[in-house]
Amino acid sequence: MIEVKNLTKIYGNETVLDIPGLTIHKGDSFGLVGNNGAGKTTFFRLILDLIRANTGIVKSKGDDVTSTADWKYYTGSYLDQSFLIDFLTAEEYFEFLNQIHGLSKGDLEQFYIEFKEIFNDEILGKEKFIRDLSHGNKQKVGIAAALMARPEILILDEPFNGLDPSTQIRMIKLLNNLKTNHHTTMLISSHDLKHVTDVCQRIAILEKGKIIHDLETNRNTIGILENYFSV
Amino acid sequence: MRRSSLWQKNVALNIVLGVLLLIMFLNLLFIGLFVDKILEELFPGGDHIVIVNGIIIYYLAIEFFIRFFIQALPTLNIETYLHLPIRKSSIVHYVASKSIFVIGNYISWIVLFPFAFKVIGPAYNAGMAWIWVLTLILLVFSNNFFATYIKRQLIGKSYIVGFIGLVFISLIMLDYFGVISLSALSSSAFGQLLAHPFFVIVPLLILIFTYGLNYFFLKSKLYPEEINIKRKEKVDALSNIKYLKTIGLTGLLISLDMRLIWRHKRTRSILFMAPIFLAYGLIFYPQTEYKGAYGLLIFVGIFMTGGMMLNYTNYCFGYESNYFDNILANYKEFERYLYGKYIFAVSIASVCYILTIPYVFFGTDILLINTMTFLYNIGFLSFVLFYFSTYSKKRMDLSKGAAFNYQGLGASHWLSMLPAFLLPVFIYLPFKLMGMPKAGLLFIGALGVAGLLFHKYLLGLILKQFNKKKYDMAEGFRQ
Repeated sequence: MIEVKNLTKIYGNETVLDIPGLTIHKGDSFGLVGNNGAGKTTFFRLILDLIRANTGIVKSKGDDVTSTADWKYYTGSYLDQSFLIDFLTAEEYFEFLNQIHGLSKGDLEQFYIEFKEIFNDEILGKEKFIRDLSHGNKQKVGIAAALMARPEILILDEPFNGLDPSTQIRMIKLLNNLKTNHHTTMLISSHDLKHVTDVCQRIAILEKGKIIHDLETNRNTIGILENYFSV
Repeated sequence: MRRSSLWQKNVALNIVLGVLLLIMFLNLLFIGLFVDKILEELFPGGDHIVIVNGIIIYYLAIEFFIRFFIQALPTLNIETYLHLPIRKSSIVHYVASKSIFVIGNYISWIVLFPFAFKVIGPAYNAGMAWIWVLTLILLVFSNNFFATYIKRQLIGKSYIVGFIGLVFISLIMLDYFGVISLSALSSSAFGQLLAHPFFVIVPLLILIFTYGLNYFFLKSKLYPEEINIKRKEKVDALSNIKYLKTIGLTGLLISLDMRLIWRHKRTRSILFMAPIFLAYGLIFYPQTEYKGAYGLLIFVGIFMTGGMMLNYTNYCFGYESNYFDNILANYKEFERYLYGKYIFAVSIASVCYILTIPYVFFGTDILLINTMTFLYNIGFLSFVLFYFSTYSKKRMDLSKGAAFNYQGLGASHWLSMLPAFLLPVFIYLPFKLMGMPKAGLLFIGALGVAGLLFHKYLLGLILKQFNKKKYDMAEGFRQ
């Protein structure tokens, strides 16, 4: 589904990302962990064609992401709050994206029903601009927006950040449901080792721009991760 | 690397500003050194003190406008200091008084002192010269604080700016039609001062008052939290405009930009400046000596029909810096995105054009000029500006608290737009020199029509440019 070859990104003299080769198959749930500055967000931005790579390419379904826009039809993403159009209300934002994705009114209603539990009556019908929402609620809006068009590929950067515990649990449930029932391909980064192992079947550790471990998740994984990160 | 390019741009601008300042300084120095001789030359045998006293009020008014438009407001990221052990009143005094050091406050001294000691001194005495200079300096500083206060209102209560503008315009009109005489008022007021020196207390009180305005205004805006409460305005009905819903994606994007402009104080304040743009013609059209001066009137036409459009196209990407990544990751066809922006720019210019049609009252020539400049604006200038706006890399944080944040309202902002206004004048000049001024006008309009005919091709060029520049823009907007 996603194929990465010789991908490097250099800022000044520093190589912030260097991935000689990586393949993510359809239906994979790919977790990315690493300390701050390891290159997680840079990697996601390269997949989404938000920054220019110094070398190498990212292919999505066989096409170079920099030369076509086809991947935008089946890729949903939420990297950070800069994805939110914060002077809109949540409803206006969802309506806007609904139209951008060319979906119908019925799709939007269906979407609201699916996210009712996660929104928990804090998002819709509030007559509040997104910029006036709390950090956690902004995060909910962003993740929901990424899932709106029922993407085949989902890219989330630290989705559990700022969510309250109940929402974190609901979110994990939701992601697992997507994985098993819709075979959504997921790329998720997180600082929370437990959450990421709860959702992802495959975990990669990124250190200074390089993938140093690429593991199948099993019951030992969390131990390996904890061991790696305890300095 | 990124930083240096921005810095260089500022260096270039600063050099231009510096040269302008130097020219102004030399001019003023010349006037100051020969003030008595110049006055004698201009008004032989007149009472120079009365004449100069009569001019002061106009000087202060002009200075006010210059300050209002080009003087940058002192800013401070207040949240960084609120938690530190500094008294709140000191923070506010610091911000309020920072504008004391603006060079505009001192530049007039070059003329004031020579006049006082060369003209007033001999007529009265040295003490009186000091009193006079002191009064003027106090007024210049009051003017500074008043202009800063009004400019601050631009983002808070924009209608106050409109009100002050109205007062100014009506005073000028009353003076123009001879109902009142501002110059007589001015010279009698300063005449009183020279007769009763203790009146120097008046400008001092004005200074204290205008400073107080700033101080208390800033103090009331000190808590970011309170600004936020005020920002929770009612959600407007802008998302329900029927017509925009019928024209598909273009309508959607225009509606988004409309909401962007309306829902941020900074962009909204530019809307409130529209009357100033549109009233610009009033300065020139009534004067008969400008009737045949097409070159000047073309400039006026470009400014009136295109000023607002220019403001938009210049920053249309920067305004979206907060969510530019979202655009890149989600919008499937950038040509539709650019097309939406272009149509919006054209709509803005069209509204301005329609509003300037009544100027036909001053002659059909005016309508012709405004029509041609309008065509030029939408068919030519819009594409040029659009093309260059892809070079913008400066993040504009529109959602940041407004009271202490005035990015992009300073001199450099206006200066960078000057070439856009002057280009058509240069296009026109050769025609004028060949004795065919009307042909020059039509040529300017024809340029616009050609641009409109080839808009698909031109937008294609801009799309190419956008695809090339989008990474740099996104990177700049992220910081």
